[in-house]
Amino acid sequence: MKYAALLTNHADAVAAWEAMSPEEAAAARAEEVPQWEALFGELGPSGALGAGYELDSPKTARTVRVRDGETLVTDGPFADTKEQIGGLMELEAEDLDAAIAIAARIPVVFRASVELRPVVEH
Amino acid sequence: MQYLALIYGEEGRWGSLSPEEREREMGEYIALSEADVTRGGSELDTVATATTVRVRGDETLVTDGPFVELKETLGGYYVFECDSFDEACTWAAKIPAARHGAIEVRPVYIDGGEES
Repeated sequence: MKYAALLTNHADAVAAWEAMSPEEAAAARAEEVPQWEALFGELGPSGALGAGYELDSPKTARTVRVRDGETLVTDGPFADTKEQIGGLMELEAEDLDAAIAIAARIPVVFRASVELRPVVEH
Repeated sequence: MQYLALIYGEEGRWGSLSPEEREREMGEYIALSEADVTRGGSELDTVATATTVRVRGDETLVTDGPFVELKETLGGYYVFECDSFDEACTWAAKIPAARHGAIEVRPVYIDGGEES
């Protein structure tokens, strides 16, 4: 089964991240690199990990609506929530338990959360 | 440059559409899936099927439901390859859910060419 894993961040962590100098941000990123390498190194060859997208900060988001034929674009994410989507990974797993086992190894799971959603196959 | 378009809408709406309306919207979604700018995307199962995973210390905490409860829920996404954010928003406006819900468009972060 295919799953979409929504990788979240805490808004506070995003704010702290954005307050960092480029050097500090690079150092903070480097801390998680071994966990990401372990994930891709150990699960990559199995084909469990599909496309992945790391997203720019939620504050760079634009939200698009069309009402009465008119396109309305606003700055900012759709919902201003405590946890925000920071990335998306496509997973291939036998069942939900297998998908949970993968999700439990995605580095953001230790500081925020991973939401798993089955993909509708057409 | 890639942009992720997150599609938010009310889940029950699809069931209230007439067969003709569904057919027309499905046609629009299929056309978008086949557009030159589209690099990926999926329809997600209902939010009732969501599972949220956290790990704290050595413990894996699994809860039913999404990480956040919203009236309009995430129902799918597209990945668009566009020259500008404005162009990505133009494509987002073609998604049928833009007419009743909202599309959140997010630039995909490129980290020094590490990713493919």
